[in-house]
Amino acid sequence: MSSGKGQPTKKPKASPKAVSDFAILPLSLPTQSGLPADCANAKHYLYVKLHEPSHPDPNAERSLFLSNVPIDANETSIRALFTEQLGGSRVEQVDFDTAVPAIPNTKRYKADVVKGSNAQAGRKRKRDEEIVAEGVVEDEDSALPLIWPGELRTSGGCAVVVFVDRASCKGAWKEVRTAVKEGRDVKWEGGGVALGLQRYKQHHALTYPSKALLQSSINAYLSQFNRAETARNRLRLKQRSVPDEDGFVMVTRGGRSGPARLEEAEKKKVELEERRKKNGVKDDFYRFQTREKRKEAEMALKRNFEADRKKIEEMRARRGKVRVME
Amino acid sequence: MAAPATKRRKLRHESEDGSALESEDTSMSRANPQEEQHAMSKAAPHKPHRTRPELPLQDGVYTAEVYKSNMFKLQVDELLEQVKFKYGKKVVPLENAMRTLKTLIEQFPNREPLPISEAEKLLRSQGVTVPFPSPRPPKDAKYRLEYAKPASINVTGSYALKVATRTEDVCSVDMVVVMPKSIFQEKDYLNYRYLYKRAYYLACVAAGLKNSSGSKFKLSFDCLNGSSLQPILIVDPSGDGGADDFSGSKCQVRILLAIPEGTFAEAKVRPTSNCIRPQDQSEGNATKALPPTPFYNATLQSDATMMPYLKLLHSASSKCDAFKDACVLGRIWLKQRGFGTRVRKGGFGNFEWAALMAILLHSKTGVGASPLSPGYSSYQLFKATLQFLAQHNLTKTPYVFQAGDVTIPKSTFAPILYDGPRNINLLYKMTQWSYTQLQAEAKASISTLGDSLADHFESTFIVKTNLLTYHYDAILRIPMASLELETESDSYEEAVLEKCRLLHSTIARALTDRITSLALLTPEEEPWKVGSAKPREDQRKSLFITIGTDPAFATRNIDLGPAAEDKQEAASFRKFWGEKAELRRFKDGSILESVVWTQKDASTSVLEQILRFVLSRHIGAGVAEMADFAYDTCSSLVHHGRIQGQSGVFPFTSRMNAFSSLEKDIRDFEGLPLQIRHIRAADPQLRYSSVDPESMKEPAALILQFEGSARWPDDLCAIQRTKVAFLLKITDLLAEEKPNYVARVGLENQSYPSQNQAYLDIILPTGFSFRLRIHHDREATLLERQLKDKSLDSQSREAAASGLAIYKRDFIQVPAHTQALQVLCTRFPALSPSIRLTKKWFATHLLLPHFSHELVELFVVNTFLQPHPWAIPSTATSGFTKTLLWLSRWDWRHTPLIVDFSTSVKQVAAEAEGPSSGTLSTEDIKTIQTRFEAWRRIDPGMNRVVLFAATNLDSDGTTWSDKGKPEKVMASRMTALARVATNALRRHEDKLLESLKGKELDEADTFRPGKLFSANVQDYDIVIRLSSKHTRSSKKKAEPKFKNLEMQQGPLAMEEKQNVGYNPAALLADDLRQIYGDAVIWFWNPDSVDVIAGLWNPVVTARRSWKVKPGWNSVPVSSQKKKEDEESGIDIELNKQAICNEIRRLGGDLILDIN
Repeated sequence: MSSGKGQPTKKPKASPKAVSDFAILPLSLPTQSGLPADCANAKHYLYVKLHEPSHPDPNAERSLFLSNVPIDANETSIRALFTEQLGGSRVEQVDFDTAVPAIPNTKRYKADVVKGSNAQAGRKRKRDEEIVAEGVVEDEDSALPLIWPGELRTSGGCAVVVFVDRASCKGAWKEVRTAVKEGRDVKWEGGGVALGLQRYKQHHALTYPSKALLQSSINAYLSQFNRAETARNRLRLKQRSVPDEDGFVMVTRGGRSGPARLEEAEKKKVELEERRKKNGVKDDFYRFQTREKRKEAEMALKRNFEADRKKIEEMRARRGKVRVME
Repeated sequence: MAAPATKRRKLRHESEDGSALESEDTSMSRANPQEEQHAMSKAAPHKPHRTRPELPLQDGVYTAEVYKSNMFKLQVDELLEQVKFKYGKKVVPLENAMRTLKTLIEQFPNREPLPISEAEKLLRSQGVTVPFPSPRPPKDAKYRLEYAKPASINVTGSYALKVATRTEDVCSVDMVVVMPKSIFQEKDYLNYRYLYKRAYYLACVAAGLKNSSGSKFKLSFDCLNGSSLQPILIVDPSGDGGADDFSGSKCQVRILLAIPEGTFAEAKVRPTSNCIRPQDQSEGNATKALPPTPFYNATLQSDATMMPYLKLLHSASSKCDAFKDACVLGRIWLKQRGFGTRVRKGGFGNFEWAALMAILLHSKTGVGASPLSPGYSSYQLFKATLQFLAQHNLTKTPYVFQAGDVTIPKSTFAPILYDGPRNINLLYKMTQWSYTQLQAEAKASISTLGDSLADHFESTFIVKTNLLTYHYDAILRIPMASLELETESDSYEEAVLEKCRLLHSTIARALTDRITSLALLTPEEEPWKVGSAKPREDQRKSLFITIGTDPAFATRNIDLGPAAEDKQEAASFRKFWGEKAELRRFKDGSILESVVWTQKDASTSVLEQILRFVLSRHIGAGVAEMADFAYDTCSSLVHHGRIQGQSGVFPFTSRMNAFSSLEKDIRDFEGLPLQIRHIRAADPQLRYSSVDPESMKEPAALILQFEGSARWPDDLCAIQRTKVAFLLKITDLLAEEKPNYVARVGLENQSYPSQNQAYLDIILPTGFSFRLRIHHDREATLLERQLKDKSLDSQSREAAASGLAIYKRDFIQVPAHTQALQVLCTRFPALSPSIRLTKKWFATHLLLPHFSHELVELFVVNTFLQPHPWAIPSTATSGFTKTLLWLSRWDWRHTPLIVDFSTSVKQVAAEAEGPSSGTLSTEDIKTIQTRFEAWRRIDPGMNRVVLFAATNLDSDGTTWSDKGKPEKVMASRMTALARVATNALRRHEDKLLESLKGKELDEADTFRPGKLFSANVQDYDIVIRLSSKHTRSSKKKAEPKFKNLEMQQGPLAMEEKQNVGYNPAALLADDLRQIYGDAVIWFWNPDSVDVIAGLWNPVVTARRSWKVKPGWNSVPVSSQKKKEDEESGIDIELNKQAICNEIRRLGGDLILDIN
């Protein structure tokens, strides 16, 4: 550990400028009190490259991909970084891959997965008509009030920065590379998200929203929910009647006798089994049965003994010979 | 599961396997239901049938009756194998030495009879002081001392019987020299005459050995069994490397003296006769009035019975195959409990054990079968002997074996087991307290072994039981010097014994039912050189009085005596208590003598007050002053750690009352749309197990369940919103009916929409706060359905699985656990303080965030429900230290923790829901074991489940420890810390025991329990100190000033109400945990977060080649050696500086500094 501490202080000058397609942009961090001495000139390393998603994305060509985003980054601070220190390209939006607290993950049906992975990044998009497995896709009215004043990023997270157009993206990319080449001092200002005591104070206050706010959100939710439920029922109805590619019709709930069927079926099964037991041939009717049973019991005892013996051997192997505690 | 009636044929056993099929018909004729039972005994254990016990099968199955269980038998085998003395090459020199000794002694010439003083002078000139017992022989004695060739020389004792063990520090080999009858006279049994002659004889042997050219052994005198009447000669190896130098075998030879049988008339030395006549009386007329001298007589008899006992034991071991093994088991059992043959070790040792078994084997008196049968297995012999010890109260009803017409009167002090043929009370060396102790231990072991669910091998044989720390609740150390005994006096030994008896009876009378056990621990004597007289006892030694307390009464502050009318009793009471005794009138009108103690002074417990008082009143002021009393030393570390009154839950009373009044308030609401089924507590604060019972910072969780209704939506997310609507409704009702309550709805779990989303915080005017969540049982069904729904994507199904686990934990297991603990805490007064102390320990070592509260509680509960081999803890300290000991020994990699609440709590089990709520059966335990093994197979790296703890309420075993809570590192750290603590306790105990032997206790040696609770932050990579302004601990310190006011006036300040449940430091810690994930492991103390410490996870954050998402903040470094297939050649390392910087940014004004 001590060697790790010593190295980076000397390193910055010699530190590499690029890795694979990424440019390595060092950001100098604000100086703060109460830190060990070697943290004074600490730098944060941001890896930047042109966005090349594996799934085609219409926004890809006007986007940059960032890796190792600072934990206190958010849309405002990234936007400020590009507009104020990296050539002034205008950012349309920033999508982060992680958030603390995590972004709720709505449960979906399999068919939606592809659609979902695209849409996942931005939570603002409206997907009112999309059918999810439970609840509704919430909008501003129906969502419960947020309880955190802002999101944080997990350490070493990524982000996609979408610029207003392709040109500004190119410009920003060029600017980043020049900054790296020249060793220009780019500062990480942060901002835009409440930190420290304020963050927690606000959180505590937000945790208890006003009654009116809650009530209206619930009302909105429940009316949307009724709509969504109807849609889901429609879907189930459709699934019941449409055969899939193999020609099978999927069995889904909401059939003739409603959702209680599963439990009833199980109850019936138990009942039937009991009846079978009562009326069936008794296990000890024939002599061979008792004989076999005995044989089996004996074998079981033997097996147990072997297992126990093995266990003891394992124990011995683990902790050596048995020793009386002194 | 009784064997079906049809199965009337003998079961074949493995040993007969080969011929089994053919012999089917023959075996039919030998039909024997009992044998069948044996083979089936797993199913039907404890069927008493002792008539035809089957011998253990070779490599076969061991039955519950013969050997408890397979595991037990196998472990016993292994143990016997390990501890048995090896009669191999090493004993050759020992055998040589014994041969040398024998020939030497046989060659000594006879010595002429000499008057005492001359004899003594002669021997002194040969460098040996005659070890006369005290009182010394009178100067004017008319008899003469002489030496004649021994009648025979034999090896006896455990070595000869081949039952010696290697567990003893020194293995002593007994050589018996039988003195010839010719040197004694008929009346020598009187007035120590025999003993003087014996001492002279021994001195002659010593002188002979010392001055013979053929021996270079080191010689010293000791007392046989610590009784100064019987000196013996100890022969230690010479160390010269000769053929008879047995240094290598850790042995010593003890030369004992014996007399041939019938040297003295049997009737004269019975326990009932007197053999010490007062010197100034003429013999004839005083005989009848003289009190019997049982100890003296038995001492004489013990010399006479040495050979007969050797014969008895030999015949027993040849008659009963398992006799020797049972002897070894008994030896281990006794050793682990600190019993020994020596008077000061209790007077019940290996010899007594073996002799007792032999007697019981031969015994045919009384009704029914003899207690032991030669067909028993070693385990059965062992257990039956324990049973004998446990069942018979030999003090009250002496056990008489083949005594013919001899009647043995009851003794006031000691137990009696009279062995008629050998005319001796086998237990003559035992004291009242050592016997009660032995009996208690036997009872404990018997009840332990009676448990059919676990084998308890460890607690019976492996665990050392007589450790002061664990065995006793309180220890009183009295320096010998303070007793002011005359060491020079002839009757010193007597005086010590007398003092001990006085101490015992006084303390027993003073403490009445406050204590469950009371014993004296006296220092042992050491051997002395043959050339010098027996040294006086070192007065720097001390005496321990060990006390086991009854938690319900130990701290009672009033002792009631007899009624005032009962003049005699009252007088005696007043005499005992002196000025402390008061006459009081009580509520019921009775007027009783009583003694009142104060509880105000927290530093001295009631016990200590009583002890110091009675010591100074009845023993001596010096004793009371110099005595050292240690009782429940750790309890001061938590608030209300010491049990007050009869219950350990006293400090929680007001909170519990607040809870029930709130429950009543809510139940009384009329405007609720649904009926309330129940409101259950689900919080450590409501199960008496939160560290600080008076803290008002955190609301206590409650679970409310409504009666079922079809109007709930059938959708998880919608259910959550409906819950919010209900909570809002309750808020409205509260505002109407109880305007002085503060109620507000809070939100949670926003990242997981189908988990519980909201709760209602209610703050009572008294300051107690509660957090109410609504439980709706449809959630489980919906989650299960999602789990099985194949049309959902895998992510959603995983979310459903974890949601289900959380649902089960929060809404089912936590309330059930809470209820079980409530019952247990009221049942065991020491449980609540022990749990709180243990939690405090976890917290101060910054481990608590990684262990769920329930898990820690289970650790402690386990100590109470499975206290073997000790009693159920009765103080916080004892519960805590035993839990630590258990933690330090728990092999969690290979053993699950299984707790069965129902062993003491039947009604909880009956009320709780679910099928798995009853008492655990063998099958249940097997299932749990299988589940545990399955987890270990699925997850051998223990990334998800590390600790496995199942209960009868929850057979899953992972409810409290799933998802790496704690992680492996944490669990290892817990074990390591527990070991350190246990070792510290052990060191302290060793120091104490040294002080028993006379070593001074230094200031540095004094044990400060606080030491166990001091965490060392140096081990961590990063330490974040928080500004004290915003941490809980600082607020706590400011509080006590107002506590009284607060309790009287009720309302908390408005600001404080706002801040209930607000803990920014904990929120920061939680943020850190989420941000850094696996990369950094964070430690903090949730009760008062003033430091957050972190360790870089070396596995995750090691230097590696560059990667887009390593999951941690990285710094690029040119890689030293460029690999060809990697174009970049760039490595990354953890950017520790940037991390410190960003944590500083995140924490802002919360953080004081980071190191």
